[in-house]
Amino acid sequence: MNKEIFKDFDGYDRIIEERDYSRKYGLDYSAQKDSADSFIQRLHPKRLTLRVSEIIPETPSSKTLRLVSPERVLPPFLAGQYVALFLEVKGIRTSRPYSLSSSPNQTGYYDLTVRRVEGGLVSNYLLDDLKRGDILQSSGPEGHFYYNPLFHDRTLVLLAGGSGITPFMSMIREVVECGLDREIFLFYGNRNMQEAFFHPHLKDLSGRFANFHYIPVIEDPPEGYEGQTGLISGALLKNTLGRMENKTFYLCGPQAMYDYCLPQLEGLGIPRRKIRKEVYGPPNDITRAPNWPVEVSRDQLFKIVIRGRESIEVKAVEPLAASLEKQGILLPTICRSGECSQCRVKVLSGKVYQPAGALVRRSDQRFGFVHACVSYPLEDLEILV
Amino acid sequence: MDSYDVVVIGAGNGGLTASATLAQKGLNVLLLERHNIPGGCATSFCRGRFEFEVALHQLSGVGTPESPGPLRMMFSQLGVLEDLELVEIKDLYHVIGPGDFRIDLKPDREQVIAAFQEKFPNEKDGIERFFNLSYQYAFQMLSAFYFKDPDPSREKFPFLYQYSFKTAQEVLDDFFRDPLLKCALSLYWGFLGLPPSRLSFAYLALLFFTYIELKPFHIKGGSQTLSNVLIQRFLSQGGTVRFSCGAEKILVNQGRVEGVITESGDQIKTGYVISNISPVATYTNLIDPIYVPENVFQEMRGRSLSPSAFTLFIGFDREAHELGLTGSMTFFPNHTDITDKNLVEMQRLGMENPFMAMSCYDLADPGFSPPGTCQASVVTLKYGEPWMRVPPAQYHQEKFRCAEAMLQRLEAAFPGVRGHIEEIEVATPLTHMRYLGHPNGAIYGFEQYTKDSMFFQPGRTSPIGGLSFASGWIGDCGFQPTLQAGVSAARAIIRELERK
Repeated sequence: MNKEIFKDFDGYDRIIEERDYSRKYGLDYSAQKDSADSFIQRLHPKRLTLRVSEIIPETPSSKTLRLVSPERVLPPFLAGQYVALFLEVKGIRTSRPYSLSSSPNQTGYYDLTVRRVEGGLVSNYLLDDLKRGDILQSSGPEGHFYYNPLFHDRTLVLLAGGSGITPFMSMIREVVECGLDREIFLFYGNRNMQEAFFHPHLKDLSGRFANFHYIPVIEDPPEGYEGQTGLISGALLKNTLGRMENKTFYLCGPQAMYDYCLPQLEGLGIPRRKIRKEVYGPPNDITRAPNWPVEVSRDQLFKIVIRGRESIEVKAVEPLAASLEKQGILLPTICRSGECSQCRVKVLSGKVYQPAGALVRRSDQRFGFVHACVSYPLEDLEILV
Repeated sequence: MDSYDVVVIGAGNGGLTASATLAQKGLNVLLLERHNIPGGCATSFCRGRFEFEVALHQLSGVGTPESPGPLRMMFSQLGVLEDLELVEIKDLYHVIGPGDFRIDLKPDREQVIAAFQEKFPNEKDGIERFFNLSYQYAFQMLSAFYFKDPDPSREKFPFLYQYSFKTAQEVLDDFFRDPLLKCALSLYWGFLGLPPSRLSFAYLALLFFTYIELKPFHIKGGSQTLSNVLIQRFLSQGGTVRFSCGAEKILVNQGRVEGVITESGDQIKTGYVISNISPVATYTNLIDPIYVPENVFQEMRGRSLSPSAFTLFIGFDREAHELGLTGSMTFFPNHTDITDKNLVEMQRLGMENPFMAMSCYDLADPGFSPPGTCQASVVTLKYGEPWMRVPPAQYHQEKFRCAEAMLQRLEAAFPGVRGHIEEIEVATPLTHMRYLGHPNGAIYGFEQYTKDSMFFQPGRTSPIGGLSFASGWIGDCGFQPTLQAGVSAARAIIRELERK
């Protein structure tokens, strides 16, 4: 500035007087160390330390892990949200998201109900090796699959498939425990009754609460089974619910269930804004996903150069994030379903396959950023992590 | 140990333009960003089929290709102009309320004056004089400070001398009688965070001048596009960026910066640090207290934290015109009070009365949301402090309660919109605190009372050698000033290195 001419502006003296008063009575910012970050820990901790307080068997293939905090009050969550566990299994540091199945009405503990995945790295560890008293690390509660009072209907139609029941369990518990003015219809699809999580509990609740209706749907029913069988079809929904207006539909389950149920809902004329869908991890077999290039086979390997670091060899059918973890490169992914964008990496050269549904920003798409948890190499790649 | 010419902390607007400017000069730059994505406020997030714009409402300072403004020239110098599609917004702003008051303003001086004169025929002269004053003031300000008149004086720049330290309300009270007119003329205060009773008149005058003469702009794809374009430019010129990796410590020796320790524990040698995070966090979290000169906190003590924001990001399953949304930028005043009453309202959780503004980006850029849909961002300013007193267990309930009150106001203005919500996300002051790391979630950094306005800002320098700042905390806030602050900070380092 040429000269400090503003000192000659009308009112300058008054301003200086005001400034001096403010300095005398103002805030001591030196006391603000870590203020924002440590405050926000109460709601959105970066990491939580959890202790396994109970392990409750649910079905032959699943258990509920009851987790408490050794050091703090657990943050609140909305029924339907999940946490990601960060663990090291067989020398691989990785993460897995699990919906909270306990009621948000209390945060004395979080329940995670885990089903065994055939050959699964983490689920087998959690079900076979974890003991009471063990310590786990997790993210804070995350996710956008919850009842939103701002625009969802008071009547909730929940369509669950297999372990997709877990977020709904939390929603149901909240409604019955808190006496909320909502009505719930739960359609719960399973191959057989032995695999249905929480079946006796749900049956009991539906008998005791007039606003909770439980409709188990069994794919392979035993002889003489009298309940609903087959899949959760449009006809079944129509027969049970009658009118479709003023109802919000929530889906949580494996991809095959979405592939079947979404067209059924569309057929009933349910508008898109009335359908909420939870993410459910990458598909089991990516080669069966739409538009997967036939020339890339299941056992094909590609070379990935990580700029400034090592090169690794990876399977085409394994998500990049999982391949990187096996090499000790841990991306802070939380959802592992393409939604949270924490595992965003830049593809500098080469082609990747991304199944539909990954929520990648448009400008990220333009500059080659992908979400590594749902990206599959289709040729040799160079990436920037 | 890795060594860089400059380490930039934070990939917000200022951090990005600083990094790109330095890399363009061939300097070896490390950019640290604790989030997984660049942009800071200049970002977006996805829900369902929508990508929501977080912060940019009207980009100022762009100007047309024929008469470019400072920002267009800056983009051109950085070599990113070709990568950006800048869309001129055809509205200045619309006003809905209080009651059935409506006015639609275009970024055209004659139209604005005529529109106000039509609504307020009794104050015709005052309206003309007010805009003359605002323009004259802006010219004098630019001549004296931007074009650096070698011999400024009261005779040459009478308005500059007379009006610089007046509040907007003092000037409005001098010119007008109708409270509704005063209110409708000063709604841009929301972009600055202080009501007219506290806002320096200079800012109101400059905002009108810049938006009318250089036009408000939208960036195709939203502000995340700008952030990604700048990162791309930085990378292509050899810059190094680390995402999900903030700075843990700035190492100081004998009053000078000598290095940085990253969140992942790497020790970096450098002689220069540009901090794009708040000076509060820089001095309290990153630097050992024994190296922080005392006057830093004495100077800071006179400043207060700006409000944060409470925002609804709404995706509708109808196009804007089907919902009756016509203004790309609309203000919804619920009363005509321009006094400190607004400060009180910002201090409260309640949503029935406060200042409310809505951007509908699809009206400026028809491809912004998927076909058959549109999105709106509805925002009000709120101090963070009352939100910090909400017990965690009641947080969600409080958030939905406040959002509900805002939705009711929106529904009253546009009957039927609520029935077409497909996605909605709510951001509270605590959300801003979480993602920005700013104390109290302050979105505009320190408040800009007249005593803290342009001549009294902290500025980019530090008593610690090699440390400088580039953000809305040290100067004016908003996209244009913060983008420019990064370039200035970078150029100062370039000049210093060239002198050596």
